[in-house]
Amino acid sequence: MIEEFIKNIKQSTSYKKQIVHIEELPAHKAIFGELEQPLSEKLQNVLLNRKIKLYSHQAQAINGAIAGKNIVITTPTASGKTLAFNIPVLEALTRDKKATALYIYPTKALTNDQLKVIKELEKDSGLKIDPNIYDGDTPQHQRASIRENSRIILTNPYGLHQYLSWHAKWRTFFQNLKFIIIDEAHIYRGVFGSNVAMVIRRLLRICMFYHANPQIILSSATIANPKEHAKRLTGKDFETISNDGSPKGKKFFVFWNPPLINTKNALRRSTHQETKDLLVLNVLQDLQTICFTTSRQMAELVTRWTKDELLARSKSANVVTAYRAGYLPQERREIESRLKSKSLVGVVSTNALELGVDIGSLDSVIISGYPGTVISTWQQAGRAGRSNLDSLVILVAFQNPLDQYFMKHPTDFFGRSHEQAIIDLHNRYISLGHIMCASSELPINECDKQFFSELFTMSLQALEQEKLVQKTPRGWVYSGTARATEVVSLESISNKTVTVLCNGVILETLTLNKAYEETHEGAVLLHQGETYICESLDLYQLVAKVKQENINYYTEVVKCVNVTISKSYEKIDVDGVAVELGELSITEIYPSYVTKTHDTIIKKTPLDLPPLTFLTVGLWFTLPDSVRENIEDLGLDFAGGLHAIEHAMIALSPIFAMCDRWDVGGLSTSLHPDTQKPSIFIYDGSEGGIGISETLYSKIKLLWEKTLDLIDNCECSEGCPSCIYSPKCGNENEPLDKKAANIILKEMVNLCTKGASKV
Amino acid sequence: MPISYVCRKCGKAYSKSEYDQSRFCTSCNALLLKIFNKLPSTYLPNNQEKSNDESSHKDKFALFRAANHLRELVGQTKEYKVVTEDVEPQKLSTYEYWIWNSEYEEALKYEKWLLKQYNGKSLEEALPGKVISNKQGECYEISSSCVAKFEKVTFEESKQIIISDLKIIPGIGPVSEQLLKKQGYTTVEDLIRHPHWKKQAYTFMQLINTKDFCAVQKWLWHRFPKSHPLLHYLAGFCQDNTFAIVDIETLGLSERPIILLGIAKPTRDHICTSQFLLRNIPDEPGAIEALINNLDQTTSLITYNGKSFDVPYIKQRLAYYGIDGDIDNLNFDILHFTRRALKSKIANCKLETVEKYLGINRDINIPGALVPHFYDTYLRTKNVGPLVPIVEHNKQDLLTLGTLFSKLYEEWT
Repeated sequence: MIEEFIKNIKQSTSYKKQIVHIEELPAHKAIFGELEQPLSEKLQNVLLNRKIKLYSHQAQAINGAIAGKNIVITTPTASGKTLAFNIPVLEALTRDKKATALYIYPTKALTNDQLKVIKELEKDSGLKIDPNIYDGDTPQHQRASIRENSRIILTNPYGLHQYLSWHAKWRTFFQNLKFIIIDEAHIYRGVFGSNVAMVIRRLLRICMFYHANPQIILSSATIANPKEHAKRLTGKDFETISNDGSPKGKKFFVFWNPPLINTKNALRRSTHQETKDLLVLNVLQDLQTICFTTSRQMAELVTRWTKDELLARSKSANVVTAYRAGYLPQERREIESRLKSKSLVGVVSTNALELGVDIGSLDSVIISGYPGTVISTWQQAGRAGRSNLDSLVILVAFQNPLDQYFMKHPTDFFGRSHEQAIIDLHNRYISLGHIMCASSELPINECDKQFFSELFTMSLQALEQEKLVQKTPRGWVYSGTARATEVVSLESISNKTVTVLCNGVILETLTLNKAYEETHEGAVLLHQGETYICESLDLYQLVAKVKQENINYYTEVVKCVNVTISKSYEKIDVDGVAVELGELSITEIYPSYVTKTHDTIIKKTPLDLPPLTFLTVGLWFTLPDSVRENIEDLGLDFAGGLHAIEHAMIALSPIFAMCDRWDVGGLSTSLHPDTQKPSIFIYDGSEGGIGISETLYSKIKLLWEKTLDLIDNCECSEGCPSCIYSPKCGNENEPLDKKAANIILKEMVNLCTKGASKV
Repeated sequence: MPISYVCRKCGKAYSKSEYDQSRFCTSCNALLLKIFNKLPSTYLPNNQEKSNDESSHKDKFALFRAANHLRELVGQTKEYKVVTEDVEPQKLSTYEYWIWNSEYEEALKYEKWLLKQYNGKSLEEALPGKVISNKQGECYEISSSCVAKFEKVTFEESKQIIISDLKIIPGIGPVSEQLLKKQGYTTVEDLIRHPHWKKQAYTFMQLINTKDFCAVQKWLWHRFPKSHPLLHYLAGFCQDNTFAIVDIETLGLSERPIILLGIAKPTRDHICTSQFLLRNIPDEPGAIEALINNLDQTTSLITYNGKSFDVPYIKQRLAYYGIDGDIDNLNFDILHFTRRALKSKIANCKLETVEKYLGINRDINIPGALVPHFYDTYLRTKNVGPLVPIVEHNKQDLLTLGTLFSKLYEEWT
């Protein structure tokens, strides 16, 4: 059916050779596995009644977990990972009537989903579990009863961070804790992941206090280093299970490049319009499809356009809907159940659905724009493919160089390995903060060294020096005047939330940054395909007021980022190149917004919003003007060269500083007002700084050499995702000049070595 | 407070005026560190060692800077809001804890004065008392005895008032009560003769006559809100000398050390207070134990918000230290009674406001919200001055609670 569908597309008159590649991923049959010891009768019956025969990876995971091992499962989306960890947990809860288990999910939506699954298992098995969610939304009056009675509690890292100091109230739960489940573990990477790793260590420390030694089961998307990641995240050893035994139909992975509409300046047709056309085709063919967009707004717009087109063809439009973060839980539930009942054929989503929300598998996936990582691309692609049936994945490219690179080199994508999930356990800022939190949970003793990094003793000394902890005969005791967990946050993002009201009723909530983009005065907010105009954004009360109005245009905010130097900590002259480390002020300015219809700008309106500013730590270096002249003499783009160097340095920073590239920001300019020179800035994305730039600063020479190495030895001619293309560039990867970058770097490194040889 | 400035790279020391001129080291251009108290030798870089142990020194300095940053964040994070006098009243009600800007400024000025006044003085000079020890450790005890009136209802009075409210019996509302009273059933005791209510009335009177405090309390909780005056009258069931007023001072609203535990035992015309102070954080287990040693099973507590704050707080600290122990005494939390009795008469239920209503004047006072700040200053400077108003504040709270407990009876009538 899929083959037929593709053939029809190719033969249709409107087809303009958009398909640049089709990768056929072969089908494979189910491989089943055997359990080493029989499950308890109740669970056997559950499997029997549901007619479940365990796949090899499920059996392997259950066997391992029942044998007492810690397990990390990395099989693809929709391969039945959930069952693989729920069975051993329920088995443990059957064998020990007091046993408890803690499930940790990165988002509230996922806990809701999992709760439903466990409740069904509870009902089918007849076990008494009383599973419950315990998070910020849990009403105060229910909390005590959940802590005391629920044998499975689902929460998130943010909640855990806050609840650990109340361990006495959780005493019974912790004393009997047999399993900790960490689902979607690949989300915990970079600075956020390093923070979560510390929260988990604090949790395990509390468990030890109550003489509990829970087993851990991790589930993760496919990453390059599952075993190492699991160990870093929890400090324990794991067995990896990655051989997928679930059956898979044949999958057609199509690379779709929008056609050129202007060959002179290589302008292509709008990616969003192409996406819409593809979605319409899928829906008309009755292929149940999920379409992933890179922004919330695009999810809404593609939905709207698709509906319009369906109506124009006098077809029903309510078989398509948008689904994204910010929707209220009941709205999401409804969409999920309509998908399952097949009354929805098309869903347009942001990556909210990339995580394991339980919607089962669909026939087709459209990925509108490269999501930035191989991990995410495969996660999204994994949504397509019911057992044994053929399925379709279409990656629709953007105009930007990164997407275009993959269109030119499709095989590069299929040969590319998944990214590593990197966690830094030796980040002084992070471990220091969590040691402080731990000291407010239980006094810290020498034996707690096992949970924290080797800087343990030194960290305590530093905290003591600042009178944040005090040594007592019972250990180090927290003595600060603020709640430790309030000072230490797991994410750098501002936690201010704006509530959107329509006629006094809550429509949705969004973060302050998102509110700047989507609910400023005059903004068009799309919600479930309906258009709303924002009348006011009250930054003091954090409320946006909107009214519903039927309009056919939408708005996009214009945003620019300014970096200013506020303090210099250190300065070194690396033989001709001045490098500094210091405090930077990063300011996001929102000067205006544009009104568009179908990707065409029709109006520009000024905005009056106070800029969003945060202070962080960064490094910067300036280049002598002679370098600039050289480049310009050669007819190359100097700014493009600087930009390319910035990108390549950021691309390498994870290796140097054990972070995620999303944790680092950068700016390059051929003239910066504070330095009066061509400058490149690299800074920590977290407020207050988190030590990344500091590490890069201390290894700056080596970093330049490696950057040159990367650019010089990359086989591409104009740049590619392996060297200078950034998946998170704010300027669409423009301008970039690889040759210029190469020459500038050579001069810099040359300057260094020349200087060094003088000594 | 000795402050020194050193280069974070070479360790060269700078004076305040040099620091004010330039925040960078003259020789290595690195940012100067501002250091309170004495710099431990571990942080002072040793030039001779520099070459072989450079990375470890780098760690130390980076940690030091990170700790300094945390310290700043801790300092900025306040659990109360300082508001100016022109604040809109509606906004005020949205803040859980707040103090006036004028109070705040005054308290800071006062703190400065204290630091000057008590410079070089010992704890014994500032706050006469003695070090005591028990199985959990040591702490500093400050005792006093004041002339004060403490009145409570007698058992007979209490019994009479309680049984006169026929609504105690499930099924009897205000209308039936009036009717019954007209028929001559003025107390629950009389109802024992009533054909319909006799059974329940008999059961209730059994509890009253056996002075089964807990059962009567439970019964009343089922029938009335927890702020109901009858629950206050229930104090008549307790022996005269079994009351203990308890109030604690802490470094914050949760998860931080208790720094002072005060207990007061009232008699008819005297109130004896014992306050257990932490000379330093290690004294906390000893101080908590000292308080618990002053309670026994028959003790009835009098607290102000103690059901939600003081008692759970002490329990959390016991759990924090892994000490077995509990406080499950009867607790007359008079915040609830105060709210009911005085709601229409005072702007809020802060103890300071209640005092104004009662005509009690404090000689020295600091806002309760600033207690953590004052104690923190003591910890960092070792100057005992800031402790003086904390101890005084706590003692005054204990005395006020004693008075308030008695005065509330007048409000009910």
